Order: sequence, then structure tokens, then C-alpha cells
Amino acid sequence: MKPRICILQTDGTNCDLETAYACEIAGGIPELVHVNELRERKHRLLDFQLLIIPGGFTYGDDVHSGKILAVELTSFFKDQIREFVQRGRPVLGICNGFQVLVRTGLLPDLDLGNITATLMGNDSGRFECRWVRLKVENSRCVFTSDIAGQTVYYQAAHAEGKFYAVQEVIDKLERNRQVVFRYTDDSGQPTLSYPYNPNGSFNAIAGICDPSGKVLGLMPHPERFVKPTQYPHWRREEISTPHGLYIFKNAIRYAANV
Amino acid sequence: MQIQEVRVTIKSSLPDAKGEEILEEIKTLLGTTSIDKIRTAKVYRFEGITSSDAEYLAKTLLCEDVFQEFQVNGSILADTNWLVEVAYKPGVMNPEAASLIKSARDLGIRGLEAADSSIEYAFYGKDITAAEIAAITEKILVNATIQQVITDKPDTLKIKGIPGTTSIIPIREMNDEQLMALSRQNLFLNLEEMRVIQNYFRQIQRDPTDCEIEVLAQTWSEHCVHKTFKSGIVVNGQMKKPFFRRLQEATREIDHPLVLSAFEDNSGVLAFYEGWAVCGKVETHNSPSAIEPYGGAATGSGGVFRDIMGTGQGAKVIASTDMFCFAPPDLSPSQIPEGCLHPRYLLRRVVAGVRDYGNRMGIPTNNGSLHFHFDFRAKPTVIVGAYGLLPAEKAAKGEPLPGDLVVVVGGRTGRDGIHGATFSSAEMTDQTITTNAQAVQIGHPIEEKRMSDALQTARDKNLIRAITDCGAGGFASAVGEMGRNIGVEIALERAPLKYSGLAPWEILLSESQERMVMAIAPENLPQLTEICRQHNVELTVLGTFTGSRRFVATFNGDTVLDLDMDFLHNGLPQQTLEAEWKPVHGDEPAFPEPADLSNEYTRVLAHLNVCSKEPVVRQYDHGVQGTNAILPYGGVEEDAPNDAIVITPLLDKPYGLVISHGMNPVLNRIDPYWGGLWAATEAVANAVAVGANPRETALIDNFIWPVPDCHTLGALDLAVDACVDFSRATGMPFISGKDSLSSTYRSKEGTVIQIPPVLCISAFGRIPDVRRTVSSDLKKPGNLLVLVGTRITSQMAGSVYFDLHQTLGHNLPRVNLKAVKQVFNEVFQCINSGMVQSCHDISEGGLAACLAEMCFGGRYGAEITIPDNERPDFYLFNETPGCFLVEVDPAVQPEQLFKDVPAKIIGKVIKDPEIRIYHQGNQIADLKLDELLRAWQRPMKEVFGD
Repeated sequence: MKPRICILQTDGTNCDLETAYACEIAGGIPELVHVNELRERKHRLLDFQLLIIPGGFTYGDDVHSGKILAVELTSFFKDQIREFVQRGRPVLGICNGFQVLVRTGLLPDLDLGNITATLMGNDSGRFECRWVRLKVENSRCVFTSDIAGQTVYYQAAHAEGKFYAVQEVIDKLERNRQVVFRYTDDSGQPTLSYPYNPNGSFNAIAGICDPSGKVLGLMPHPERFVKPTQYPHWRREEISTPHGLYIFKNAIRYAANV
Repeated sequence: MQIQEVRVTIKSSLPDAKGEEILEEIKTLLGTTSIDKIRTAKVYRFEGITSSDAEYLAKTLLCEDVFQEFQVNGSILADTNWLVEVAYKPGVMNPEAASLIKSARDLGIRGLEAADSSIEYAFYGKDITAAEIAAITEKILVNATIQQVITDKPDTLKIKGIPGTTSIIPIREMNDEQLMALSRQNLFLNLEEMRVIQNYFRQIQRDPTDCEIEVLAQTWSEHCVHKTFKSGIVVNGQMKKPFFRRLQEATREIDHPLVLSAFEDNSGVLAFYEGWAVCGKVETHNSPSAIEPYGGAATGSGGVFRDIMGTGQGAKVIASTDMFCFAPPDLSPSQIPEGCLHPRYLLRRVVAGVRDYGNRMGIPTNNGSLHFHFDFRAKPTVIVGAYGLLPAEKAAKGEPLPGDLVVVVGGRTGRDGIHGATFSSAEMTDQTITTNAQAVQIGHPIEEKRMSDALQTARDKNLIRAITDCGAGGFASAVGEMGRNIGVEIALERAPLKYSGLAPWEILLSESQERMVMAIAPENLPQLTEICRQHNVELTVLGTFTGSRRFVATFNGDTVLDLDMDFLHNGLPQQTLEAEWKPVHGDEPAFPEPADLSNEYTRVLAHLNVCSKEPVVRQYDHGVQGTNAILPYGGVEEDAPNDAIVITPLLDKPYGLVISHGMNPVLNRIDPYWGGLWAATEAVANAVAVGANPRETALIDNFIWPVPDCHTLGALDLAVDACVDFSRATGMPFISGKDSLSSTYRSKEGTVIQIPPVLCISAFGRIPDVRRTVSSDLKKPGNLLVLVGTRITSQMAGSVYFDLHQTLGHNLPRVNLKAVKQVFNEVFQCINSGMVQSCHDISEGGLAACLAEMCFGGRYGAEITIPDNERPDFYLFNETPGCFLVEVDPAVQPEQLFKDVPAKIIGKVIKDPEIRIYHQGNQIADLKLDELLRAWQRPMKEVFGD
């Protein structure tokens, strides 16, 4: 059975269609669901096996990036979200979606309403759009189980992507193997130097998961690399699998079996 | 109830990137050294709630204690005396206010009536003086057009007002002097036009209302009706057809099978594949950007996106382009004319405006260029383009029927942007910046994004009869235009307003952004209303299409506008303009061949018109929508420019849309005909260089000219002829275009500055399979480099090389249209056959820049040999367009690949990262790639930071 995927939309969502396309070719059934449709109970989150919050500038990223949507979700859907993750259904937040997950408290600790990490403005002080090399850590994340240890290449495009938390929180993330992606330099080593680390993230963190490994958030955009011609170097080298496809295939495979 | 204030700042232990950026800006732009540190705080104000509610909002919404701290009703950056708070002026819509109100409501807070936000800057340093803070405030923190300094807590955040009334203008009794005095109050019509209006009202035996006068003035403004382009013109004593008709007739005669609509809609439409169509539109926003670059550029993007959204029955915006001209960013402040802004400030703010609008809308901005010339110091040229996708069967608008509803969706109407159309039609003076401030606004891209989402849903459900954007001239233009063949009546009091107090004429004329007007059959209204509600888009029925052939507006039952559509749209007197062009002849400057060719090579690459523009592109989300097949910058390190971009708007198909452009303003100073051919040739060469088929490519023109006079019109005449000749010779039709004829500055003392005339040609077309396109980066050592095309290397006038030697010259590149057509076809055929490994076209900086950029892309070097009979510097730096450097496998025989066009092997790709140049048996230059790269990248890094 192909899993039904909720791709959550609201004012300012703008990576929804390419995310839906990625889900489709990875074998899922994506549906674009406006948050108003959830509020009006035309859909329930539990109608879906996978929840994706795609990139964009929800509500203009006013106050903080993703904040207004995060407040909306925690104000109206606390119970639905809690039940969704308690049943082990996976959640993926990309870019603005990652910012939303962190600002709901779902990441890093599945603790709705309790914010313990943040994504601050890039050190460069500006929006950065560039392809970045990411090391996939050997983490708890179910989305990356088969590519741990590998390097993937995704496009990052954001102004507020600097992952920050107090040292204890970061230490706990590291200890718990919740760090999923790190920015690396050309040699594959995690790095703090610009532009390889485009925002100055602590510990070069580009993406993290919750302790169960089923909620993943990352700043770069896997949905922008699910077919060969999206790869900036497709004229120079051949690739077997477009790197973004791994995430969607694993998420969908996992969602189908929950 | 009193206002609650919440101040939020980043914890002092953490860096404040915004503060650091401003500090950097202050150091570079003002040279101030007394400031050690800048911290910023956000100030939120709420009206109608208690302080405990404010505290709750601070904790749950405004402040994240992971990295921030807050104060309710108290100061937060209290450890310095130097605090400056900057807010939007009342009436300038702060987009964040609506989000604050929404989120407070989501959090269960009741009673919030109004909210606002602003920024507080705190300056630290022992020796700071009040004068320094005043200068920083004026030059960097505040754009007085839209912002102000707040010193006291405001009493209220609400803007109230009593609607102004409609007045009668006693035009029938006026003498010529009085007519012109009336015109000068923002109408900007000439005496003949004023007399025609006067006669109309004498005939109908009444005086007009202010609404009627304003509607006539804006409908007849240069900006809306393009009267110069539609006028008869006498050139050097000889009567010629109007500019616009020449372009249109060429397109009609070409009768290109892919063209679905040309010059009749908000954008030009081409057939794509499988029942889809693509459309393109390129606009200018020079006047607003000159006085408020951020808002001006942002709303320029917003406007051209709405042109796409308002094409046919509605299109999706899939790409955006940006072409800018400024004075050099390192210009001394003393060289900036009074009332004008510094080019470095303009450049950074214009880029930020385009960035923030496009990124937030989710539109990839991925093709563009920057051009620099001293004479843009008074007024920049800001060109923004947009491209869209729509079903071919919906590429034509329906005609409204009597009884159809006039529906407006999107943003609310405010006093912003009033007189934008007439203001944009006037020349700039030292007073422009102060007296036309209301003509500029900041944009609200999220409003436009949700409207776009709603409209595409409505279009797919066949709910839209016709749609157009509300741009220059506001409702007056959008409604008046849509109803021109049938008649329309609207009730102005129904228009949702940002704040009360607008007079009827202001509602009619307001150019508030993010609004669109539609003709909707009454039976479709409920479904459309539901779609809009679902997307948080406000929808209002303003009135109906009537069949009366009159444009009628009422305000609370009183008729404030009642004009005959025929007079409104056809009453403008046809003018005949005088133009003259005297070609300038002269000897070419003579200078000896350079002793150090390597040094010249490096200087050319570091020239502002050649250097890397990558720092700009990095700020644009050029990858959103997932459609890139050729990126703006590619190659091993993704820092080498490609000639055009190619996107796959249908994600599951290999079909490509190619987008490129060409322009070189300085050439139009020498000869606008050859300058015009240069621009058109360069636009198409850029597309062909990636593999576009010239037979499936269409063109868009943009003329940005000084205010028309006899001489500038003579120049314009030549540029238009160049476009027409190019179009007819190559078979590529122009399908959309725009002119903006106001780029002259006049100072108090009478000094006049005219920009170099700008002709920007954009090209777009379809590609059946993006896998048959090539990039510009060198692929393999040992491959051959073949120079394809015809050029006379002594045609050096207007080149970057001449500019570096402080000379312009007369003998500029003269494109041979017959030859270049053949070159385009053969280069396309070769790329399409898969024989070409990489390709780059020659433009500014000549073969030198072309070769270096290909080397940067592959991180390989090259060896080339300049023919014995050529002068090396001219050979390297000649800028004839329509010539290509092509990389092919050594097994390929160029003469078999290129049959009927000049093609010559000039060298090969080498592994060493060096460019070696040979001439007459000697090595005459050896350039290290990394040094060249640094020189080429430095200028824009200096403007935008590393």
C-alpha cells in the first residue's frame, strides 16, 4: 500500500510542489493540505502516514522563521500531532519546515511547546543559496538508515539556518546520536568555515532527529535533487541515485510499514 | 487603552549578525571609526491588551529564551546612551502587523486592536558623537520615504481619518496658463492634451470631478499608454511609422507558429509542450527604485509577477530575471547629484528588494546582469522580468459580459503609490525624492503568494473570465481597461481599505500592491469566494460590467466618475514627434599595443562590467521549484557563469525553458542602431550557447531612455529599427515589450544628466530535451577550442578595454545579420548533435573573459594561439557578439562540424591551471588561473562581503 502523505501548506509555503513530486516518484501519495483544511476538520493528520512540512516563508517568517505556523500548530493541533508521533508515524521538516519543528518543540525532544534549540540568522547576515556537501551521520534517524556514513549533496537556501542550543542540549544530541546531517568541507570533514557551512551552525549541524529517529528536520533541500538533471554536475559526472531520493524513499518505506 | 511594548534582543553573549552587518556598512559607506559595536532589538507594540497579555505574547511568540531576552514596557539595550528606533511611517503597511494579530488570536488573546513592530539600534563606543549618529541615521538606518525615527511611545497605532470629498474642477473656464498649472499638479499632461479634456467637458456641458481628471491623466500618461511609442515620428525630416507599430508589424509578418499572443496581454505567450504555454514579461521600476531602492525593486518584482499571474486566465510564475544599471559602487559621495542616493547603497538595497520578494514568493531568480556607468549616478535602471506557465487553452482572456462581476482580490487599498503612473512618466529632479515619496511602497510578497495559490486553483476550475493586475493607475486602469469595450460601474466605498480617510479619487488611483481585478460570471462567485477564503485571501465585489460603454464610479450613492469609454481610451490626441540623428564620425583613438598583456587581461576581468556577479545570485533562491537544469553559475566550484538558464517547469518532463538577455548601454551612446543589434544578438547568442533552437525562441524589448527630445528620439528611432531588422532577419518575433522614457535628471542649477540609453533584449524559448544542452565549463584537457563566428577585431569602440583606457571610440562592433543567423543555426545544430562539450559566447570582456570563465568552470587551463595577422589585445578584448568559443573532442574535425560559418581551432584545454597565449611563435602571456579568479571575483565581494 502506498502511504498517504500530508504536505502541509499555508500562506508563504513555496516548496510544496517539488516536495510532492519527490514523494510521488519515491512511491508515495502526496496530498497538499492547507492548514485551514485541518482547522476546519476537512482533514485530520491521522488520515496520513507521513507528515511533511515543506520549505517556504510561512507567514512571511514574521517574528521568527516558521514561528507563526509553529504557534498555530501548537495552539490547535497539539493532540493530533502527539498522537501522530506516538503511533510512530514519521515527520519530515525541510528548511522552513525544520524551523517550524524546532519552534513547536517537536525537535529535538518531542516536547510540544518547549523550545530548547533554535535556528538563528546566518552568520553572513544574508540569505544564502548554494549547494552544500553533507555527511550523513550514523544516527537514530529512520530516513537515512541506508546511507549513514555517506556524503550527500543538497542545495541550501535560507537566511536563518544557524543551529544553536546551549552546550548541554548539543551534548545530549551528540550522545543520543540525534545529529543526522553535518556540513562538510571538500574532504568530507565537518566544518565551521564558510561557505561550506553556509550559516555558522554549531557542530556543523545541518539536520537533527528526535530520540525515536522518526522526526527529522534539516535545512538543505533534498527535494531539489530527485532527478539527474537537478544535479549541478550532471554534465561532468554520472550518479546512480539522485541524493535527495534516499530520504523520500526511506520515509515512504517506513511510513508504509507503520 | 495604553500601548504595551515588548522589546526583544539577542542575548549579549551571542553575536548579533544584523548589528555587525550595519557596522560594516557604516565603516565602508561613511568611514566612521568611533563605533565598536552595534546591537539591535525588535520593538513590538500592541494596542488593546493588558501588560500580562503582552508578557504572555513575549514568552510564547516574540522571544525565544534559547538565544534571546525580553522586556515588557521597559528598555532592554540600556547600557548605552546612543539608541535609535526606526519604524515605518504611519500609513506604510508593515506586513508583520497582520502576523502579530493572527498569532495573538491563535494564542487565545482577545481584544488586540492593532500591532506594530520596529527596530532599535544601540551604538557602543567611547567617542561617538551626536553628529555621527545623525549621519548614520540619515544615510543608513532610515529611508525617509517610508521610515521615521521614533522618540516617544505613540498614543495609538490606529490610523483614522474622515474620507475626503469629491471636488469639481472648473476646467471649462480655464485659460491655457491655468490648464498647465492644473497639469503640473501631478497630471503631467501637455497643453494640447489638457485642451482636449477641456473641450470634452465643454461639449458635455459640465465640469469634471477630481476623479475624472485623475483617471484621464493616468490613462493618458506615458507610463500607461506609451504615447511616444504610438506617435507618428518625423526623423531627419522624413515621416516614419510609430515605433510600436514597426515592432508589431514585424511580429505579424513573421507569423511564428509558436506565438499564442504578442503585445496584447500582460505578457507575451508561446506554445510549450503537451498543451502547455509559457509566457514572459520584462518591466522597469526605475523611478521608485531611485528614491526607495528596497521597496522600489521589491514592488517592481511584485508587479511583473502579477503581470504573469494576470496573463490569459492566469499563469504560474516560474522564473524571474533582474538587470540593473548603476554608477560604480566606489563613487565618491561628492559626485552624487543632489537628491540622489549613493550607487553602493542603491545596488545593495535593490538586490535586497528583488531577493526578498522573489525568495518569499518562491520564484527562482536566476538570470540577470549588472552594468555600471558613471551617468547612472542620477538615476539607476532597474529591470525585472518574469516568466510563467499556463495551459495553452487558457492563454487568451475572455471578454467580460454584461452582468459579470468586477472582483478585486488580494491586498487592501491605501494611500500608497498614488500618482505612481504619472510620477514614473516625469523626469527626475533634486526635489523628486521629497515630493513623490507617497509614490513608493514596500511590498508584501506573502499576500501575493497566497493570492497566486488561490488564483491557480480558480483558473483550473474555469472560474475566471478575465484577469489583470492592479498596477500603475490602480483600479482606474485595471477596471477601466477590462471594461473598455463594454462599460463598467463600480462602488468605491466597497473597496477594502487599509485605513479610513481616503477620498474617492484616491481609492480609484491608489497603486497599492498585491491586488488583482477579475471579471467573474455571477454563478462562479460562490466557488471563487470559498477558494479565496481557504487561502486567506480577501475578495470583494466592486461592481458590474454593464454594456453602457461608460466608466462609472459611485461613492456612497453619489456618482463621482462618469466617462465615455471611447473618449477615455481613444480621445488622446495622436501626436507627431520630431526626431533627428546625426551620426558622429571621428578617428579611432590610437594607442600602442600594451607592454604587459597579462596585466591588461587581468584588468579587463576585474572591470565592473565583466567581473563575477555571483554574490548577487547567491542571495536569490535560484533553485526553488526544483527546476534548474542549467544554473546561473556552474562548473566544478559552481562559480563560473553560464550564458543562459534552463529550467524544467514540468518536473516529470525533460522539456526546457531557456531564458537569457543582452544589453550594453554604452554602445547606444555611440550608435543606437549597432548598439541595438548588439543587444539582440547577445540575447540570442546567450540562449544558443546553451543549446537553444533559434527557430523556437522569442524576444522581449525594454527601452529605458532619457526624457524624449529631438536627439534622444532620433536615438530611439535607430534602436527600434535595429530590433525590427534583427527580428525580420532572424525570424524571431518580439512578443512583449515596454518603454520607460524618463531617465533624465535635472538639478536646481539646470545641470542635466541623461543615462546612456538602455535597450535590454530578453530571449526565451523552448527546448525539447534539457539533456541536449551544454554548460560553459571546460570538460577535459586535450579537447580543442574552436572560435565560431564572424568578427572584425578592430571594431573596439565601447569595449571594456577602451573604457580602461578612458576612451569610447566610434568604430563599434557591427553585427552582420545574415551571417549571424547562420552561426546561430549551426551552433545550435552542433550542440543538439551532442558533439559540443562546452560552449560560451563572447560578450563584454571579449574572448579573454569568455575563455577565462570557461577555464574557471572546469578548473582547467588553456593554450591559445592568436593568428599572426591579428593585434593580440584587440583579438582578446573585441566584444563582437554572436561569436562562440566551443570545446570539442580532438577527434572532431571542426570543418565538418561547422560547414558554412567561420570556425577556427585557436587552442586546446590543458590540465595546468594557466592560460597561455601565443602569437607569431612567441608566448606573449601566461596567466595563473587562481590570480585571475581572485581579480574577477573581487569587485562584487567588496560590495556584498566575502
